[in-house]
This record gives sequence, structure tokens and C-alpha cells, in this order.
Amino acid sequence: MSALGHYLEEDGIATVAISLIRPQTEKTRPPRALWVPFQLGRPFGPPGEPAFQRRVVLAALRLLERKAGPVIIGDFPDDDPREKADPSWRPPSLPAVLADRTPSGFAARLDAEIPLLAGLHRRWTAEHGRTSVGLSGLPMREIGGYVGEWLQGREPPSPNDGFSPLLLLRFAADDLKAYYLEAGAAEPSKPSSRQLYDWFWKTTAAGAALIALRHTLLASDSERVKLIAGNFLVPPPYVPSTDRPMTIGGPSMGPWQPGQ
Amino acid sequence: MVRLADLPPAQAQRLAAFDCPNFATEPWVTGPPLSQRRVAIVSSAGLLVRGGMPFRGRDPDYHTIPPGTRPDDLLISHVSINFDRTGFQEDWNVVFPIDRLNELAAEGTIGSVADVHYSFMGAAEPDLIEPHARELAGRLKQDKVSAVLLAPV
Repeated sequence: MSALGHYLEEDGIATVAISLIRPQTEKTRPPRALWVPFQLGRPFGPPGEPAFQRRVVLAALRLLERKAGPVIIGDFPDDDPREKADPSWRPPSLPAVLADRTPSGFAARLDAEIPLLAGLHRRWTAEHGRTSVGLSGLPMREIGGYVGEWLQGREPPSPNDGFSPLLLLRFAADDLKAYYLEAGAAEPSKPSSRQLYDWFWKTTAAGAALIALRHTLLASDSERVKLIAGNFLVPPPYVPSTDRPMTIGGPSMGPWQPGQ
Repeated sequence: MVRLADLPPAQAQRLAAFDCPNFATEPWVTGPPLSQRRVAIVSSAGLLVRGGMPFRGRDPDYHTIPPGTRPDDLLISHVSINFDRTGFQEDWNVVFPIDRLNELAAEGTIGSVADVHYSFMGAAEPDLIEPHARELAGRLKQDKVSAVLLAPV
């Protein structure tokens, strides 16, 4: 992000960047940046809090009026109030995850669990007017089956032109997570990201299936499969200690802990 | 929150030691008061309009977010899984604060909001992004944009 600011400013466009990791901004030295004390993924703060977001946006834009640069790095003073857990939140009621820890057992549970959340997901979509499911282009009823095929050691063909089977698997996994996280937040309470991610990764059949899938694919002969499985399926805080953690570089790929 | 003091020491050390580009110059563009600025958002969240081709791997190019894009149209295809997505799911302004910019323009705090906004994917290599960023600068000038709000995830 700071590099983008540098390039655009060199070509005559004034910029101000939001900074989520201050030491990286201090190193890259963009023309102007506002550091914000929010978790990665929330550059403008809490969802559903327009007054708070407005203060962040305006604090950043006001740096454009400061004369004492380059470099200007401002600090936003307030934490994201939505990082706190909501004790009133109750996760969706789902059957306990599973005795059968075979690949076919994981796949069957995943397939059975997805429809159980359909009502909550419809409620989410109706209330928010949107869903962020859609990267894979597959309907949700097919996503479980596609992930299940991979779980059981098969590499199903990609039904979407332009997506390799492995790329489609990554997007299907992203869609699966989005569907669950939206369904999990469908009730009127305001769960923190930590509450939602803990629920997904620690209690659902989908979370268990993705953790099992990661484990299985890391034994692949293909370096590309191992790269995708190791880095892009399960966030490091939820990788079992018995599995090998993997991280690759990149400005937005630092270690991440969801909120409280 | 991403305060290094709040993270486990090993994580904090890794973040602080992260390899970042080191530029020889410090460009600086001034401009009119905020009330006369035309503002565009340039995200690095790997945003795309539904139906488009998501960012793959570390694609260094950018997507456009055209006028009339609705909240249900916008998806995140950033390759990283190491950031929160639930905030964006609930409210696109967490990542793409277009409603806030439109409000600021309506009340006259900023001059106007650009018609088109843009997204890169932040895991791309900075030197590979550079030609695309410079091409984007030309498009921004054509749209008379005088301020860019850069939004990472």
C-alpha cells in the first residue's frame, strides 16, 4: 500500500494511506499515512458504525492539508469497539462434530451441515442486502461436494472456465467460509470476529473438513498443491499444533489474530 | 488490534522485521483545500465486481470498480487468509468507504467523489505493481482526481 502511494505520488497524484502495521509504514515512508489500531481486514474500523468510520476517513483525508511533509504518519487514537466479544451472541445450533474422522466421514458431514445453515444465511442476505459468497461461481450445494472430492483424494475437474481445479478449490473454500461466517452472524447480536472464527474453526464440520483437507494436501507430490493448502486454507491460529505451519511473505500476510 | 506490544513477541518481531521497499525519493504532491478535492479509493484488498475474474496468486494488476457498483456486487479475492473478512461481510465501508466519501461530498467537506475506484491485491510484489500503478495515475488524472485514499487490509 505504501509502495502504491509512492508510485502514484511520483506521477502527480496526492495520496494518503491507511496503515495497519505501523513499523512497515515507517520503513516504506509513504508521503502520508494514518495508522489505525484495528485488526487486519478493517482499515476503516467497525462495521455498521458510520460515525466512527467517518472519523477515520476524515482523519486520513485531513493529512492532505498538512504542509509539513514528506513524510507524515498520523495516529488514529481509538480502538474498534466491535473487537469486543458480544456475550449475548449464540452460535447456530449444529450437531456436534463427528466421530468418523475419515476423509469420507468429513465429506459426508460437510455435505449434511451446509443445508442446515441455509435459513440463517437467507436471513443474513435479506437483512444486509448482500452476500460475499460468489468467488467460485458455484452454488453452495455444489461447493460441499467439490471440497469433499478433494478431501477424498480426487482432483475433480473445474466446472468454471478460467479456473484451474486448484484455483477453484481455493475460491470454493473462501465461499464456504463466507457462507458460514455470514450465517453465524445472522442473529441480531454483534459477535466479534474472534467469536465467529472460533466457532467456525473449532466447532463446525466445515472447519474440521478444511483442516483435514489442508493436512491431506500437504502430503501431495505437487509443490503448488502444498503451497495453496499450506497457506490459503486455514489461518495459522487454527492450524493444529500437530500440523506444519506455513507462512509466505507479503505485506498483508503477517501473522493475524482475530479480535477478542 | 495490530499494536505490536499486544502481539506475541515472535509475531511482533516478524512484523517489525518485514522486508519493505526502500525508495530513494520522497515524492510530495500538494493540492487545493479538501473542499475542492476529487477523491478516489484505491484498495489493495483484491476487490472485484461479482462475475469478474478474481485475483489469482499474486496478480500485480488492478480491477476497476465502476459507477453504480452496489454492495452486493463487490467481493474480496485477496489471496491471504490472514485478515478478518467478517467486517467487510457486514458492511462494505469497512474496506471500501464509498458511503462515507459520498456523505462528505454531499456536505461539502470534500469536493467530489471519483466516478471509478480501483483495487490491487496487496500480496503482489511492489516492483511488479509499479507499471500498473503508473498507468493508473494517468487514468486518475483523466478523471481529475486530486486525492487518493489508499486502503489496505
